[in-house]
Amino acid sequence: MTGLRDVPAWARRRPLLSVPAAIGLVVLALAWLVAARALWHSSVPGDLHLPRVDPRSLFSARFLSRSSSYEEFLDVDGLLGEVAVVLALVLYAWRGHRLMRESAAGRIGTGMMLGMLAFGVVWIAELPFQMAAVWWQRSHGTSQQGYLAAALGGFLGLGAEFLFVCLALLVAMGLATLLGRWWWLLAAPAFAGLALLSTFLSVYLIPQTHPLHNPQTAADVRQLAQIEGIPGTRAEVQEVHRETTAPNAESVGFGPTRRLILWDTLLDGRFSRAEVRAVIGHELGHLAHRHPLKRVGWLALFLLPAAGLVALFTASRGGLARPEAVPLAVLVYVLLGLLTGPLMNIVDRRQEAEADWSSLRATRDPAAERSLFVNLAKTSLGDPDPSSWSYVLFDDHPTIVQRISMVDAWQARNPG
Amino acid sequence: MVTQSDHPVRLVLSDDLERSRFTVFFRAIFVIPLFIWLALWTILAWLISIVNWLCTLVMGRSPGLFHRFLASYVKFTTQVYAYLHLAADPYPTFDAQDGYPVDLQIGPPARQGRLSVALRLVFLLPAALVTGPLIGDPSSGYLLGRGNSGINFGLLWLAALLGWFAIMATSRMPRGLRDAAVYALLYGAQFWAYALLLTDRYPDVDPLAALGDLARPRQGPIQVSGEDDLRRSRLTVLFRLPLAFPHLLWLGLWSLLVLPAALLNWLATLAGGRSPYWLHRFLAAYVRYQLHVWSFLYLVANPFPGFSGSAGSYPASEVLLAERSVQNRWKTAFRAILALPAFALSGAYGSLAAVVALLGWFVSLALGRVPRGFRNAGALALGYQAQMLGYGLLLTDVYPYSGPMRPPGEDAVPAPAPESPQAGLGLA
Repeated sequence: MTGLRDVPAWARRRPLLSVPAAIGLVVLALAWLVAARALWHSSVPGDLHLPRVDPRSLFSARFLSRSSSYEEFLDVDGLLGEVAVVLALVLYAWRGHRLMRESAAGRIGTGMMLGMLAFGVVWIAELPFQMAAVWWQRSHGTSQQGYLAAALGGFLGLGAEFLFVCLALLVAMGLATLLGRWWWLLAAPAFAGLALLSTFLSVYLIPQTHPLHNPQTAADVRQLAQIEGIPGTRAEVQEVHRETTAPNAESVGFGPTRRLILWDTLLDGRFSRAEVRAVIGHELGHLAHRHPLKRVGWLALFLLPAAGLVALFTASRGGLARPEAVPLAVLVYVLLGLLTGPLMNIVDRRQEAEADWSSLRATRDPAAERSLFVNLAKTSLGDPDPSSWSYVLFDDHPTIVQRISMVDAWQARNPG
Repeated sequence: MVTQSDHPVRLVLSDDLERSRFTVFFRAIFVIPLFIWLALWTILAWLISIVNWLCTLVMGRSPGLFHRFLASYVKFTTQVYAYLHLAADPYPTFDAQDGYPVDLQIGPPARQGRLSVALRLVFLLPAALVTGPLIGDPSSGYLLGRGNSGINFGLLWLAALLGWFAIMATSRMPRGLRDAAVYALLYGAQFWAYALLLTDRYPDVDPLAALGDLARPRQGPIQVSGEDDLRRSRLTVLFRLPLAFPHLLWLGLWSLLVLPAALLNWLATLAGGRSPYWLHRFLAAYVRYQLHVWSFLYLVANPFPGFSGSAGSYPASEVLLAERSVQNRWKTAFRAILALPAFALSGAYGSLAAVVALLGWFVSLALGRVPRGFRNAGALALGYQAQMLGYGLLLTDVYPYSGPMRPPGEDAVPAPAPESPQAGLGLA
């Protein structure tokens, strides 16, 4: 008979995972891959060849130089801001638990307070860089926002952010109390459910909107929605001209809350009807291909391993059921967000490309699309062909050159 | 009796709360000659205050003659306002003699920092903000010559208005209203003493320092207590408003349930004579929770509160509630009407709490401490609101006490005259 003493130390060590748990994780990983593959699907032909476009043929050398320096500053500023956020959160993860003495709220309430303060620290760390960005945008005429308004807007915006943090920590810490180290398995779907709810209700959270009054544009929306297979989609206008001159549009919601939101800066006469139609076609493309829902799907796929890693890292502080683990949890979550940012950008760019393709098929007006992209770059001072590092780290849209290249590719396939 | 305060402008109170119905009824008319005289005095005070400012700037001390004149002016104005706002009964003399039931003791001229003198108008701005909720428009009556009755809905004016009805019914000014008025009057006097360079001590908004031992000891079925070392975490102060958002949302959701619960409680108390246990418990938790939240938001307390409103969960600002008791059915039946005066007064106190919280935010951010006066003024205001809410939700039928209350256990100086509890309309 062999006693325990005879078993080698490595064999006596408790296994990290039991066999059923390991099998479960493998199944989960396979399901993750299958889901990712389904979400990755795009209607843009896989064999589409994008011809090379020389930006100098579309923009003046002066514009290219100006837009390049403009975007470069913002990118460097953004990057430095992210570094500052990480440093601040590292410090907070190290010392933040001392703030527990400022709470009389019990375990979960104290965790909420620490979580909110973590994002308060993020706001402080980002503030100088945000102010620098405001200064840069104002000096280039792309923003009319005042410094105080920008700072106060960010500060008051923390209220909504703090509410979300509290809800997330309530779910996570509550589940960690009930389920121990496996809390993340239920927390990730719960968060995805909340994200789904938020997507569904997002149209009601957009400020200063009113119905689209322009009959011509409204008729274009109706016609293009019919072509893209989503008839009855409603469009609204958001008033942003007091804050910015940049044009934009977005698609939000799904089902009955599906909406097309056009910024009033897009409809102020700087863009032709055909260009506005191209924008409408693009946004309807997002809705037609259910991109708002797919984004929730991708978020769920991100959250599952992210929550698992948060659980793994916070185990050293007793797990997320304990409030002192919250500062570390926030650090891990933000770091994961930053690290996976470039991957999420790839997903976003793919969806944007699909929306562009959809718009081309609906409007069948490549000249308008090309003109729109040139105009967009000029009005927002966007670099048509940014540097690679900036593209990888920050760009969630294809570059202007890539988008024009896609127009050329579509035209090559659809001559006449 | 003089309050035991180290401020150079102190309260001397010898009022016995008795009032003549006749003079109170016509008080606004009787005060006209006093206001005419006050207006004349004000013109002269304007001129002298400018000369006094120059002299104090040069000499570092207010000249004795000017000091005496301006001190008499502040005393007279306080007496006239005390008379008008029913904090005192006798007609004041036109020469601001000592011995009026609500009087001031103003210290002799003392050295003042020249920088403080030079920038006095700038330094006055925060204090002027506080005078709004306490005495209404800070300019009314004093110096700027607006010798009207000060209809500007500060605590002083509301106390007078409510006191008028109580006196008509009982011939007595309720002590709580008198003390609230006196608190506001003393702050106004300290404000103008500072403005007119009678002292370089900043006005003290602390109600306990204003009334000292003259304040009633804490008693009654709803009391508010707090253990606080005045330390404030700068980080939580900076984010105090967004940190309170989840609580405000939760409080809002809770309030949705409180409305039907209050109605049910009213019916049950009317029928059974006392609030059902479970409703009493639920509504008491709500009263506690709203005090916790507002104490945190208004910097009356430091720690982040919990979400349950359970008893003993927030020692920094806690509501002590008496057990359920039998309530007078008449008072229960007409509670919504009876609570209106308290509701109005609670509005003035709410403004006071908001102003001291705003000022306290800047101070706490700079020093990591909240001034005791701000803390106690906020606690008084929120304590009154908790009493009002408890009364409105039928947790008790004892009317909210509107004056400052000192913590129990401290030596008390007997009140000048006995008073009958819950006299007349029950205004206190």
